[in-house]
Amino acid sequence: MKVFAIDLSVCNGCYCCQIACKDEHVANDWSPYAKPQPDTGQFWIGITEKVRGQVPKVKVSYIPHLCQHCDDAPCIAQCEVGAIVKRDDGIVLIEPDKCTGCKLCADTCPHDAIFFNENLNIAQKCTGCSHLRDSEPDEWPVPRCVDQCPTDALRFGEEEEFADFIQEAELLNPGAGTKGRVYYKHLPKKFVAGTVYDPVEKEVVIGASCTLKDTQSAQTYNVQTDNFGDFWFRGLADDRNFTLTLEKDGKSLVIDDISTDKDLSLGDISFKQ
Amino acid sequence: METLRTKDKTVLRSLGLGGFFGGGAEGMVDVKDGKIVRIRPMRYGWKYKKEDVRQWKMERDGKSIEPTWRSLPGPFSLAYKKRVYSANRIQFPLQRIDWDPNGERNPQNRGKSKYKRISWEEASDIIAAEIKRVHQTYGVHGILMQGDGHGECKSINTPHGHSGNLLDHMGGFTLQVRNPDSWEGWYWGAKHVWGHGVQGNMWPATNTVNDCTEHTEMMLFWGCDPETTPWGFTGQFASRLCYFWSDIGMHQIYICPDLNYGAAIHADKWIPVLPNTDAALQLAIVYVWITEGLYDKAYVRTHVVGMEEFSAYVLGEEDGVPKTPAWASKKCGIPEWTIKALAREFASRTTSIAHYFGGGFIRGPFSHEHARLEVILLAMQGLGGPGVHQLQLTYFGMPRKRGLAGGIWNPDIEERLSIPVMSSITAWQKQALPKCLVHKAIESDEPITFRGTGAIEALAQDQFNEYTYPIPKEEGGSQIHMIWTDTPCRITCWNGGNETELALCNPKIECIVAQHPWLENDCLYSDIILPANTHMEVDDIVTNVRQGTPQPNIMIQDKAIEPIGESKSDFEIVVEVAKKVGLEKEMTQDLTIAELQKRIWQHMGGEKLVSWEQLTEKKYWMYNTAEDWKSDPPGLRNFYNDPEKFPLGTPTGKLEFYSEALAVRFPDDKERPPVPKWIEKSTMHDERLSSNRAKVYPLLLMSNHGRWRVHSQCDDITWTREVGTCKVTGPDGYKYEPLWMHTSVASKRGIRSGDIVKIFNERGIVLAGAYVTERLMPGVVYIDHGARADAIKVGEIDRGGAINTISPEGIISENCVGQATSGYLVQVERLSGAEMDQWRRDFPEWFERKYDPAAGLRFDAWVVGGDQK
Repeated sequence: MKVFAIDLSVCNGCYCCQIACKDEHVANDWSPYAKPQPDTGQFWIGITEKVRGQVPKVKVSYIPHLCQHCDDAPCIAQCEVGAIVKRDDGIVLIEPDKCTGCKLCADTCPHDAIFFNENLNIAQKCTGCSHLRDSEPDEWPVPRCVDQCPTDALRFGEEEEFADFIQEAELLNPGAGTKGRVYYKHLPKKFVAGTVYDPVEKEVVIGASCTLKDTQSAQTYNVQTDNFGDFWFRGLADDRNFTLTLEKDGKSLVIDDISTDKDLSLGDISFKQ
Repeated sequence: METLRTKDKTVLRSLGLGGFFGGGAEGMVDVKDGKIVRIRPMRYGWKYKKEDVRQWKMERDGKSIEPTWRSLPGPFSLAYKKRVYSANRIQFPLQRIDWDPNGERNPQNRGKSKYKRISWEEASDIIAAEIKRVHQTYGVHGILMQGDGHGECKSINTPHGHSGNLLDHMGGFTLQVRNPDSWEGWYWGAKHVWGHGVQGNMWPATNTVNDCTEHTEMMLFWGCDPETTPWGFTGQFASRLCYFWSDIGMHQIYICPDLNYGAAIHADKWIPVLPNTDAALQLAIVYVWITEGLYDKAYVRTHVVGMEEFSAYVLGEEDGVPKTPAWASKKCGIPEWTIKALAREFASRTTSIAHYFGGGFIRGPFSHEHARLEVILLAMQGLGGPGVHQLQLTYFGMPRKRGLAGGIWNPDIEERLSIPVMSSITAWQKQALPKCLVHKAIESDEPITFRGTGAIEALAQDQFNEYTYPIPKEEGGSQIHMIWTDTPCRITCWNGGNETELALCNPKIECIVAQHPWLENDCLYSDIILPANTHMEVDDIVTNVRQGTPQPNIMIQDKAIEPIGESKSDFEIVVEVAKKVGLEKEMTQDLTIAELQKRIWQHMGGEKLVSWEQLTEKKYWMYNTAEDWKSDPPGLRNFYNDPEKFPLGTPTGKLEFYSEALAVRFPDDKERPPVPKWIEKSTMHDERLSSNRAKVYPLLLMSNHGRWRVHSQCDDITWTREVGTCKVTGPDGYKYEPLWMHTSVASKRGIRSGDIVKIFNERGIVLAGAYVTERLMPGVVYIDHGARADAIKVGEIDRGGAINTISPEGIISENCVGQATSGYLVQVERLSGAEMDQWRRDFPEWFERKYDPAAGLRFDAWVVGGDQK
């Protein structure tokens, strides 16, 4: 059974997966696997990007999203004409010749991965490039999006080969409970960051102890400012409230009301020594 | 399930868009039923085993990086099918409906009038007759040949300059001289510190990638975006390299106004700096180093001339203004504590500065000053020592290949094929006109003078020569009265776009001929338009060896599909005209494409590399890494070790912090003085936030090379145009070029993401789509250059987002004839519905033209009966 293994720590946001998918499926008819994808508007694999933080502590996260090829696929369960099938290799396929265009699957999918083609009156989505893998398995062990990925962020293969990866991975939308076959590592977590400086000396403060305390759980995280006076707390959970304490040479500064409802840059923090 | 026929054949292509003979970002093109069915990365193992091709490996701390066994093309390369089958392809020869070579020419209607279909026979007859008429009336220099720049990678059908070859056979022409458009500052500045280099860049640069990988502790990406500029040339190896450098703990610091695409994912720290104020930051760094003794004094004593003069300026002994971090902070917008921290980190860690050419950093007013200061910074920390380089990130400095002399350039190519390309790199004609001055030259009734031609291959010494256009009449000089262009992107890619639009309507210019695959930009100001085809439609051969391709190779490019419409290759187009002036043989030498392919292989010494039989059977051949590549001295290592034995190409052989040559030749130059300085303003440029103009135009605009284009190439790809940073769909359905602005800048103006905004200054108005973001520092707006111009009012209002239409009028500085197209003052406002409605009433024809948001501008919108193919 196949899986997609996506390592976001090396996804550079080039959108080539999205482009390669269109190159394969737009204006090409791969019936009975898939009818042509419309030129624009459908993203059988699509990148969402998120700008995180505020000037000057900003990062961009890119997340490819596609059909999760669920083992408990609601789209299969609801399709009244049996047009959606689970292949032996785990790939979920909408058979265009059987699809009657009722649109129910697009509404049912909790991953927003099914599109509707008004011109052809069919539902469409990622096929795992099964037409290539079936027709020329030696040439095409993987789908187009994976074949081109310049950083190997996107991989595809047998579940057993990726056992270690899966162990550390997450699902994009675990709440759906659909047993997806697309695994992600390094999904973005919140950060809190800033630069500490001395307003009298006009110097950054190096080696200040920075302690972030979760006000509900009392869990603490500690880092030191680096040679730019910067501190970064990474990998924080969403929607927690914190207190930040900066300390150096017996002086301290407390900043309350820090929340990880978003990634947060505290900017340049004046710290009198 | 059943198996399908997924293709009929596979052919190979260089998918890079750098042009000239060679490229990278190779790809495999699958063809089925006569159509391109897919474009995918090149699998180098298609016909060779990996163990048969010697690879390289770079190592540090037990980790290693090797070249990939497949190519890594960028998105527009993979989407190139959309270029080939674009709705904007020119299908057949065209003549402007109100241009009559035997009657009224109506130059005032250029940029507005539609076109009618004509035959190749008619088109080539008209062009031949016009050439003869202009030659008889004004002499050969009456024709301006624009045939330079980037494009598809082909050797025989190379996209530029064939018309120059023909006109040269007819006695010569006026040459548009391409300036070093992506490295201006180094060309006009750095050359005077470290000698000529490679067109101003550090040279030698051999093995710098490996040396940085092994030794550099901190890499400064100073206005550099490794996730953008390499794409058009070699693809995405630089991306993998940056991830590897993070893996081995190399600190990556980005210094740029925008959180560019590299900074967004690779930066350990982003230091936002106001556009074109880098010189202030650099001077403050030097101030810290001098006052705290943090530089390599021994190296400076033995390798540098002019430290005293430079030091006197930095410390304020010369002008009473010490260039302290506090002083610099007000200019460049970086807190002074961060400037000090950066200066000390730079001094204490082994540091290199990375570029892959550039946008904003190196293309603004006075760009030679921070280019020179960059060399000085590196010099003060032991330039040429282990891990201390200016790194043109993978463009130069990749491991040497056996059989590739020099390591970076194309192999020699025979004269017949190299002549077209000469027009991109040399000033090989008697009457030459810098590309940055073309619009001025047309509008001026007086001769214009300039120092240096600005030709890419011209030596530093050429900058001391004075030239005049036109040359004296007795030497055959003439103003230009006809233009033949295969480079119709002057409006959107160069300086003074609005002035250019107006200049092209000047009645002095009696005939404009354009040849191009797509109906865009300057094409719409032409009188005759010829349909060129793409590299998919011709047979050719390329050497994918330039600009840092990880697996250099020679490739036969077999035709993928038949030509679209009536298109011909750029070479074939010129042959059509040559037939009409009796010079067909001079152009073709009676050689077939197949014979030319073989001659290219022969001329590069191919028989020593791979047999012709093997090359034509397998369609490609890969160079082996030289066995002894690691012994090549990295960068300026020889000079570093022994400056007397290995002097630089400067007059003194040393790094010249003070240039005696500049002092003698240009004693009154306040913009490029003998010692590099902070230039607040000059008679030519007044584009700082300190300017009185800033009261009306309070934002600094910066412009990078496009993420989703290569200059003006690829703006019509429907698939990239769906990406939010490529186009912003306005409420009117038009896809606008994104204008980045900080949240605070936007909210002050009541602008929200997706709004139509107008960017304006005294030079005109450009419309854009608001992209409100934290990826840009406040006080700045940012937009890529090269969007297809879409004038609502010619010379005044552009809807397409062609930002260079309102770039500064001036060149870099008085004596430096390069473009200054980033770092200038504008105002931005939300466009009111009332104003747009007024334009709809005033210029209805522009709003009535057929427009397709997915692809943008269309061929059939401009052609009478254009939809009847």
